[in-house]
Amino acid sequence: MEQIRPRSPEELAARLGEASAAGQRIRLEGNGSKARAGGAISEADVRISTACLDQVLIFEPKDLTMSVGAGLPFARFTELLDQHGMMVPLDPPFAAQATVGGVVAANTSGPRRRLYGTARDLVIGMKFATLEGKIVQSGGMVVKNVAGLDMAKLLIGSLGTLAAIATVNFKLIPKPQGSRTFVFEYNTASEAVAMRDRILQSALQPSAVDLCNPAAATVLGLAKWTLAIGVSGNAAVLDRYQRELGGEAIEGGFWRAVEEFGPGFLNANPEGCIVRCAVTLDQVGAAMEKLPGAVVARSANGVCYSHCQSTDQAAAAMTMGRPVMEYGPSSRTAALKMWPNKDSGFPIMQKVKRMFDPKHLLNRGRLYGDI
Amino acid sequence: MIAPEAKRRLTEVVGARGYLDRPEDLKLYEYDGSVDKAKPELVLFPRSTEDVVAIVKITHEFRIPIVGRGAGTGLSGGAIPRSGGVTIGFARMNRILEIDLKNERAVLQPGVVNLDITLAVQAQKYFYAPDPSSQRACTIGGNVAENAGGPHTLAYGVTTNHVLGLEVVLPDGTVFETGGKETDVPGYDLTGLLVGSEGTMGLVTKVIVRLMRAPELVKTALAIYDTVDDCADTVALITARGITPVAVEMLDGVMLRMVEEATHAGYPMDASAVLLIELEGLKEGVDEQLELIRQACMDCRCREFRVARSAEERDLLWKGRKNAFGAVGRVSPFYYVQDGVVPRTQIAPTLRRIQQVSEKYGLIISNIFHAGDGNMHPIILFDARKENELQRAQLAGEEILQFCVDSGGSITGEHGVGMEKMELMGHQFPEDTLNAIKAFKNLFDPDCRLNPGKVLPTGKGCLEVRQLPLTAATAI
Repeated sequence: MEQIRPRSPEELAARLGEASAAGQRIRLEGNGSKARAGGAISEADVRISTACLDQVLIFEPKDLTMSVGAGLPFARFTELLDQHGMMVPLDPPFAAQATVGGVVAANTSGPRRRLYGTARDLVIGMKFATLEGKIVQSGGMVVKNVAGLDMAKLLIGSLGTLAAIATVNFKLIPKPQGSRTFVFEYNTASEAVAMRDRILQSALQPSAVDLCNPAAATVLGLAKWTLAIGVSGNAAVLDRYQRELGGEAIEGGFWRAVEEFGPGFLNANPEGCIVRCAVTLDQVGAAMEKLPGAVVARSANGVCYSHCQSTDQAAAAMTMGRPVMEYGPSSRTAALKMWPNKDSGFPIMQKVKRMFDPKHLLNRGRLYGDI
Repeated sequence: MIAPEAKRRLTEVVGARGYLDRPEDLKLYEYDGSVDKAKPELVLFPRSTEDVVAIVKITHEFRIPIVGRGAGTGLSGGAIPRSGGVTIGFARMNRILEIDLKNERAVLQPGVVNLDITLAVQAQKYFYAPDPSSQRACTIGGNVAENAGGPHTLAYGVTTNHVLGLEVVLPDGTVFETGGKETDVPGYDLTGLLVGSEGTMGLVTKVIVRLMRAPELVKTALAIYDTVDDCADTVALITARGITPVAVEMLDGVMLRMVEEATHAGYPMDASAVLLIELEGLKEGVDEQLELIRQACMDCRCREFRVARSAEERDLLWKGRKNAFGAVGRVSPFYYVQDGVVPRTQIAPTLRRIQQVSEKYGLIISNIFHAGDGNMHPIILFDARKENELQRAQLAGEEILQFCVDSGGSITGEHGVGMEKMELMGHQFPEDTLNAIKAFKNLFDPDCRLNPGKVLPTGKGCLEVRQLPLTAATAI
């Protein structure tokens, strides 16, 4: 297969335009770290990677904004921000291998989304290249902007099925003075959820509120239903959390293990899959009791990740809430149902897809094989 | 013209008391908070999604333009029916359908007034974050259309960050839902695409929003300056030092005096500019932040730094800010509000440029704006009864917005493009981007009947404008 690594957004647009005009099926990727995410890409004629668009384009530390090429390694991005006392706390899985564009295109996120949100909350602008060979701009470099249509929202989480993200602009968050992690273990899910509710209904504003079932806790070196709370602020604020939450703080490295839980599982289980179930906050406890395998949940956002050993187990997981098979098994199974229960917006999504990619050339198989 | 047959069927949907068609009534629906005007031929007040669908299907059959309207407080002409036709007023779809505190959500009809959401949950210590200055009147449907902001969006984000799901009626009568009470619903983020589409792609008939837990402590400070530059520099310094207040509002001297005369909020009459700064959170954090803010203000030669000592004092300071437009109305018969955004390091040069523009056109321009976001609101005072003054005001506004774009900013931060800033879109975005926006418009509204003649520059949109809009100058 032909491999192309454009060195500028213009070249990216030109290559996409040429491939499209020639009717070539295109595999679009950054570093290809999430090969099993969102449905495997079926055979392609050409492989286009944004990996060489790896520049920091604009960095305005005094304005807390940054524009980067989609191919910038996410690890380098966070390291640079860290050096300047800033962050974009998406905490995605595969952070060591992923590109910024890949993180945004897959809309991956992590524990601190409770406080800081996800890509849709932190991205202030974007340029993307279309199959028509054009570069389209959404938003800009200011933190508040309603000029034009917010097309970046569509590209976030589109898994490369609409267009190729070329550059991404972020608003930056100042790093808090300090942070702490508290872990509480319970015999039942309902006790853990009761603790979560006490925290959410109080004035406390934790950045992360994750809940693990015993199977997941075991992998993390714990045993029971585990509620992990991340908090940040100055010393007085951290002491306040310690007083109100009780318990002892543990090492912050715990969160790296939580963020890499999925990648670790996929690596160890070539035929395993991860089902993501979106539920309301009051359904988290019941859903976690029923979901199979090791389950890690963003319990204050209502997103549960069920790590399933087999597709049969995944089918059982996909009866909870509004599910999707976020990562599939290594061996491709075309008949696999990854996205059950589509809502009434699905036909509109299909229209949007046809508008961007009428010949269905881009990342065929992605977005769970259904678009 | 709406055919008599179409009108009969449309009015049947809403009943005898559900529409307006007399010229004197329609006149009340020809304007919003901006300066342009155009009259609808018929205003309908549906009570349900079914009513909206029925109306939309009839207008589809007879090819009648339709425009959705909330409270008409918009500042970019978004609700002005510039091609005539039917205005769908959502005033009677104003029920809060559900308050779901345990899931931190509310489900709303589009006509619910913004402030009523917070009023419904504040006893339980929750609130709805986006707080446009018109929040006592503006509706959630209009907020969704324009992606409305407000002072506290500095910390909490704008409407799109707080809307999780929508029910949408397309111009052909198709109804669909996006998102839901849950986050991370699979598929494309149609909610994110539609919020801020300025009523040009679908009519929103239901909105699911996030409710947030109220902070334990709120502190409000007023920093008073002898020069505008020092005040603007403070905003850049607060940003550069990574201090995170929830609101940083700036009022210049012209604005201060108008506001103080109207509300007696305690603003100094002799200052050149003030900052209104708010901090929220755990008390241990707020106290320290307040000190950091005070230090930043002092480092920029702040004359005086006052902290509101009571909730009453704080409310009074905010009353001055939020009633600013009313205060302007006491002084000038007409005003024209701009909404440009600049990087926060560029506030001081932008204010200097605004002053130059004011002198060039011989018009008073006052400034009251969301400084923490770099979201400028120069208010151009004019008298439309005087020859060419509206035109001069519009040219002055355009010149300011061009400067914002050239400084790396945007022509609009929270009011929307509407019909007022359409022509400037070509200055901010390249041709291919405008074509992409047009393609979306065509996808959702192929007949171009839904809020025609907005957002895209003339010639770029799909509409041939059937009638020229009136302006404030031509009919009062």
